Amino acid sequence: MSTALGKIPVTVLTGFLGSGKTTLLNRILSENHGKRIAVIENEFGEVGVDNELVIGAEEEIFEMNNGCICCTVRGDLIRILGNLMKRRDKFDHIMIETTGLADPGPVAQTFFMDDDLQSAMSLDGIVTLIDAKHVLEHFDDSEEVREQIAFADVILLNKTDLATESQLDDLEARIHAMNAAARIYRTRDAAIAMDKILGLGGFDLDRALRIDPKFLEPEYPFEWSGAYELEPGEYAFVVGAGPDPAMNACLRRIETADDPGMRDAVETAVRIYSEPETKIGPGEAVTPGSLLFQLDLAGGPGRFRALIAERGAYALFTEHHPDEFSAYLENAAGQPVQPLATREYKPDHEHDDEVSSVGITTPGDLDLEKFQRWLRELLATKGADIFRMKGVLSFRNSNRRYVFQGVHMLFDGREDRLWEAEPRHNSLIFIGRNLDREELNAGFNACLA
Amino acid sequence: MFGLKGKAAATVDVRETWRALLDDFIIDLAWSPSGDRLAIATVDGRVSLASFRGPPRLLGSHAGGASSIAWRPDGQALASGGLDGWVRVWDPVTGAESQQLAAGGDWVAKVAYRPRGGELAAAAGKTLRIWNIAGETLYESACHASTVSDLAWNPDGSAVATTAYLGIVLHVRGHADPPRKLAWKGSSLTLAWSPTARFIATGEQDSTVHFWHVKTGKDAQMWGFPRKVLELSWHHAGNHLATGGSDTVVLWDCGGKGPEGRSPTMLEGHPTRITQLAFQPQGELLASADADGTLLLWNPLRATRPAAGRMFLTEITRVAWTPDGKRLAIGERAGSVAVVDVGA
Repeated sequence: MSTALGKIPVTVLTGFLGSGKTTLLNRILSENHGKRIAVIENEFGEVGVDNELVIGAEEEIFEMNNGCICCTVRGDLIRILGNLMKRRDKFDHIMIETTGLADPGPVAQTFFMDDDLQSAMSLDGIVTLIDAKHVLEHFDDSEEVREQIAFADVILLNKTDLATESQLDDLEARIHAMNAAARIYRTRDAAIAMDKILGLGGFDLDRALRIDPKFLEPEYPFEWSGAYELEPGEYAFVVGAGPDPAMNACLRRIETADDPGMRDAVETAVRIYSEPETKIGPGEAVTPGSLLFQLDLAGGPGRFRALIAERGAYALFTEHHPDEFSAYLENAAGQPVQPLATREYKPDHEHDDEVSSVGITTPGDLDLEKFQRWLRELLATKGADIFRMKGVLSFRNSNRRYVFQGVHMLFDGREDRLWEAEPRHNSLIFIGRNLDREELNAGFNACLA
Repeated sequence: MFGLKGKAAATVDVRETWRALLDDFIIDLAWSPSGDRLAIATVDGRVSLASFRGPPRLLGSHAGGASSIAWRPDGQALASGGLDGWVRVWDPVTGAESQQLAAGGDWVAKVAYRPRGGELAAAAGKTLRIWNIAGETLYESACHASTVSDLAWNPDGSAVATTAYLGIVLHVRGHADPPRKLAWKGSSLTLAWSPTARFIATGEQDSTVHFWHVKTGKDAQMWGFPRKVLELSWHHAGNHLATGGSDTVVLWDCGGKGPEGRSPTMLEGHPTRITQLAFQPQGELLASADADGTLLLWNPLRATRPAAGRMFLTEITRVAWTPDGKRLAIGERAGSVAVVDVGA
């Protein structure tokens, strides 16, 4: 737990009506976690468990005089939580269930802007529930659903039993492109381990980095993968005429020749795809392992050998969809080998969602003054479009990591633990509307000492 | 050049005469008009009455918590409001609950009797209700933009002012017209009429104090506070306003043309944030209290140093002067209530 000492953690639960918020809340309340939880409900579901405090409230949004978006707070929460803090019965955790159409911004900002709440509570995390079957109906015309995704620390893709695997893959890729920092879990009946949603600690970017090293890199460098069960021997990857003069491919040994087996290898494949390519021409061989092969197709269609030494499950990751090249795998007998499972990875540029994430990760130390000047300017001009930001920074002249998070123009940061064995680096992420990746990168890099 | 500022005032004698433990956050205290009994509301909902012969007597309770308590000016009844949405009227002699009035919302924020009258006003949710002495509804208004945070009668009893998001609403007694609004784009949390009813001061969510000239509707904003300002108290002559919102008591001179363009007086002495401010009803002393349990008494028109001080164990959550200004009740977060005699 990295929640600031002594402060009561607050979890905000967002999601459209019917996405499963009440189901999740009931799970949290009935789970035997030994915590005293107070619930503030803006939407009236069937929550009710003895020994827990449930308070209903009507959403009241207060904008302050200067019209600044970050000064918009939730009056109902200030009033109710203010009263809660005076009580003798103390709570270990506070859950706020918002209405389906709530903007998470003012809820989050309340914990930065109100003096009394800021000193007593800390925003532990924003958990957004998504109805996997119906969310697509809202995606394009609902600002709220996009904001709820953009603000989330954790997203539960719920009701997975009502959607197909490939619909879930598409949805997950699209959500990931909007908010690359959020952890996405697929759930049925909102069934999820409590430690995945409670006690996240607002600052815990590190954990996200550790679990998912590619999260700052939401674009997949390949479009397709197939899982095969292969015997020792020689195979051929037969590539026909296609739109490009070359195609990258890598072949990995996987645990099982099915979708879960392939999914486990995706992360590794992304890493292999960031390595320099090994160029091969027709007749040359692709081997399983950590090499990225670039198949030269300049001379037209070609057959590339694939050498399999051990019997087992393998996944082939290709830069383009094999259909575009009429490509397939052939065994020594000249028979096509059908994949037992396939996955498609939509390249990021196909999504035109205006909400996106920009991740920056770079070694080196920052100049404090330059960074402050840049961030101040950035938030003053673009703060309304930056929903959230989080990061771990390395400042020159400090042997401690600096961690921060922000909501719109509000920024909260502090020194963290000492830099240990790991190389000093900066990792940060912006989630927002109409973000300019190049400008953000250039601006940040100019702050390096 | 230095005038009287910076000098210590003549020492004030403070002597504790009574103490009781109520075991929960003291959310409100109210002295009977004759100053011989003290009504106490705790955050857990209990309404108690101390007559200083033995421990306080429990009158009853609001489920979910109590918020506010007030005495009828004739001393024959006291009213309490709570999170159960009810206003309860108590007979201070028998201790019985004589009336139960539905306030129209989930939480009752505040109850207040009309000065020199028997009418009772209460705010709950977006609704203001006023009842007569028999408990019949005389007036009801739900014209507020959000939950009402505070209400107060004009000192002459001619109107009730309420605060909510987007400013003040003035409900004038006996007028059927829509109430008058003093609009401000902000969330007003607490209000205080000047004793002459010329001004209303409000403490705002955005860490400012708003200052309204009631007759003209002209307003001014006082800024520079590090926190939201929930503590406001007027000197009885109506020319000086004390504000909290920080570790420093700030005294604004509102005489003549008002506070605009004048530098306020800063009273420094609290080690931490101020939680309560209360001018003596008829005298010159100002009581201030903080989150560490420090109580200070000032004679702020004469000196910028405290005239007396006293420590309590936990945060002071409420202070209340007797109407004659000779005694002060102090309530704490941990539930202790003390009474001190204040003498020159």
